[in-house]
Amino acid sequence: MKKYILTALLGAALAGSASAATLVYGNNGDPVSLEPGNITDGISITVQRQIYDTLVDFKDGTTDPVPGLAVSWKSNPDATSWTFNLRKGVKFQDGTPFNADAVVFNWKRWWDPKDPTGYRDQGRTYEIMGDLLGGFKGDKTAVIKDIVKVDDNTVRFDLTGGNSDFPVVIGSGYFGLASPTAVKEQGAKYGTPASTPVGTGPFTFVSWKTGDNITLKANPNYWGAKARVDTLVVRSIKDASQRLNELKAGTIDFASDLTPDSLAAVKADKTLTAVMKPSFNVGFVSMNNKNPILAKQAVRTAISMAINKKAIADAFWGGLAVSNASFLPPVMAWANNSAVPGDYKYDPAAAKKMLADAGYANGFSVDLWYMPVSRPYFPTPKPIAEAIAADLSAIGIKVNLKTEDWAKYLQDRNKEPGFDMYMIGWTGDYGSPDNFYGAYYGANASDDINYNPPALQTLLEQGRAALTRDAKAKVYGQLHKLTYDAAYRIPMVHSQPLAAARTYVKNWVPSPLGSEAWNKVILIGKK
Amino acid sequence: MGIYVLRRLWRTLLVLIGISVVVFAFVRSLPGDPATVILGERANPVSAARLTEQLGLNKPWFINIKDPAHLFDAQYPRYIWKVVHGDLDKGQKSQIPVTDELRARFPATFELALAAMFFALLIGLPAGIIAALRRNSVWDSLATTVSLVGVSMPVFWLGLLLSYFFAVVLHWFPPSARLSTGVDLQPLTGLYVLDGLLRGRLDVAWDALRHLVLPAIALGSIPMAITARITRSSLLEVLGQDYVRTAKAKGVAPRLVTLKHALRNALLPVVTVVGLQAGLLLGGAVLTETIFSWPGLGSWLYDAISSRDYPVIQGGVIFAALVVSVVNLLVDLSYAFLDPRIQYR
Repeated sequence: MKKYILTALLGAALAGSASAATLVYGNNGDPVSLEPGNITDGISITVQRQIYDTLVDFKDGTTDPVPGLAVSWKSNPDATSWTFNLRKGVKFQDGTPFNADAVVFNWKRWWDPKDPTGYRDQGRTYEIMGDLLGGFKGDKTAVIKDIVKVDDNTVRFDLTGGNSDFPVVIGSGYFGLASPTAVKEQGAKYGTPASTPVGTGPFTFVSWKTGDNITLKANPNYWGAKARVDTLVVRSIKDASQRLNELKAGTIDFASDLTPDSLAAVKADKTLTAVMKPSFNVGFVSMNNKNPILAKQAVRTAISMAINKKAIADAFWGGLAVSNASFLPPVMAWANNSAVPGDYKYDPAAAKKMLADAGYANGFSVDLWYMPVSRPYFPTPKPIAEAIAADLSAIGIKVNLKTEDWAKYLQDRNKEPGFDMYMIGWTGDYGSPDNFYGAYYGANASDDINYNPPALQTLLEQGRAALTRDAKAKVYGQLHKLTYDAAYRIPMVHSQPLAAARTYVKNWVPSPLGSEAWNKVILIGKK
Repeated sequence: MGIYVLRRLWRTLLVLIGISVVVFAFVRSLPGDPATVILGERANPVSAARLTEQLGLNKPWFINIKDPAHLFDAQYPRYIWKVVHGDLDKGQKSQIPVTDELRARFPATFELALAAMFFALLIGLPAGIIAALRRNSVWDSLATTVSLVGVSMPVFWLGLLLSYFFAVVLHWFPPSARLSTGVDLQPLTGLYVLDGLLRGRLDVAWDALRHLVLPAIALGSIPMAITARITRSSLLEVLGQDYVRTAKAKGVAPRLVTLKHALRNALLPVVTVVGLQAGLLLGGAVLTETIFSWPGLGSWLYDAISSRDYPVIQGGVIFAALVVSVVNLLVDLSYAFLDPRIQYR
């Protein structure tokens, strides 16, 4: 009997909390825009993901694709054409129907520079099309050749080459689908705080006070799991320490991107739960071929053996990072090569000998550039750089630590002659090894190390075209071996961004991809 | 005086034009271009070049010499043409008109600066006066120490300490933001405390006031310290002058001598410094606004500078210059009130 009463009480509490509750998230800044396809930053995606759905979604907490606004998809045998069957009966939040026309409308305005609803003359750039899909209609490198409405519930994307990653690429949070009616009505204003963004997602837009907060409310007509809270407020709190203060004070319910050293404080607070997000990034050190000493493979390998990566990961991430010998985060370990060691061998003595054999018994001097900004993959770049410098000095390499303003840093690494050695990293957009390797190796990558052998480019293209996971694993395994042996980019860590929530926040499963819809999150007993 | 004001306004206009040229050339000569920052880690020369062209930043700055038929199809003439029409252009990333952002954010900064200045004067003036009157006493040492701490404590550190102690530990004040989540207010002036009162919503005014306390203390700490020190030294100097001695000799009550005869004269340098400080507070309370998630001009401009958002930097700097000019004009006008010997020509 007692059990039934308890269950009934809990049920009542759940129902109560779901009806009028407000869920408050501490975002690490203000979104750039709420217009899909016209953003490149994670802060904007966090909010957009609540308003918009994508064709392909991902299973909670993983990078595995599941149906979103498309219920199924398949390609032709060489993956040069992908057909998506759309979910029927879905309506945008303004009541207009979601259908093939809507999909074609959204994609054409991003992809076709001549599309009149793209408002390019008013400053729209859709640069994400260049980054993830090679460029725009008419570009030589563009991935998409055409977007075709087959019937009301079917859309086909014709591609310029075989690409088996296409469904997961277009599932990334950049490509939420907006109501064509709303976009046309609001014109170039669409997506700014003065507009009303309209998608098919679990929450509808209420207001946006720039630099302050965005308020959304539950979409009562959502096609999927309806939101369990009434109102969602996304607050802009740039400072990580202040996000923690707000969590502790109870003025926000959950937040991401806390500094690794906050873990102890979160664990010590009984009102908070630490939430470890799955790692989906890589922080690494790049070495430049233009420096004649670093052009020698033995020198680079010696450097990779002289850095005590595990000690650095333990010291600066407090258990929230792993170090290994792969460019890919652990969730994509399936694409690693088993012939490559799990991690680089840390052996300063052997490294010193290797350096002497290469003709540098007395060492040499080199510049190491560290980032002036904090990123999840390098939260405290300067002390990490100092630790690397200390390790290298032990084998006789004199390291000059250097840094400069972020804007200049990003530019100078690609300018002749580039940096000798520098720290940078990457957080993935979608669950494919190509998103990691392709960002820093090959034709479309930054040209910062002067290393681009044809074999590597071929493997990248083969990886993109491979149809099954086994076939992909084989190709990326070869890439793993090739890049490991070349030792131009030494992966240092895959960090786990730290998030935290008040203990009454339940069902929050953060996505490795950095954003997920919060329709399943519930508040039990929030006062 | 009317002519003086007009002349000052005319000079302000010239200053603003000059500043627009300087800031325009300055932001473009900064290393690192907007496209690279927008693209971030994934920026490569090809995508950066494409984005630069899309943003129109591949055009010449001031005059298109290479193509005489399109002489004025350069960035500055296009910008100034827009400015003359009341359009400060749009943010490169957000596409939000700069004037909209200024309108939304200036009241937040103004309210914070007012509160900070109020705090600075409330503590700084009496502290300076007491320190001067009780020279070399415990009070003097206390006031000097407090002002030294105020000047030397970094604002971000003080802000975080205040937030942690008064919000997280004591729960007296909210840690950040302008209003509590769920408190709804249709702004009239954009100054939330005032808007709450005007709308007859005492609860909102109270909520806004509570949110204002900690950032105002953080931001006001430096002007408070400076005010205390200037007031002390200025009052000491005036108290040693002949006319004060004469007043005392005439048998005027000591309190009256201090408050009426000495203080009014001693306030001249204080007003000058307060005016300069007020201009600085309005121009950009960057750290305080960032720490306290205060949606004002400072944090907005800071972001714009790190991301090389040219239109925002240009609009923000020109606007800040305008505000500082106006504040300086008001300060100059207040001299006549404090010291009737000063005349405007």
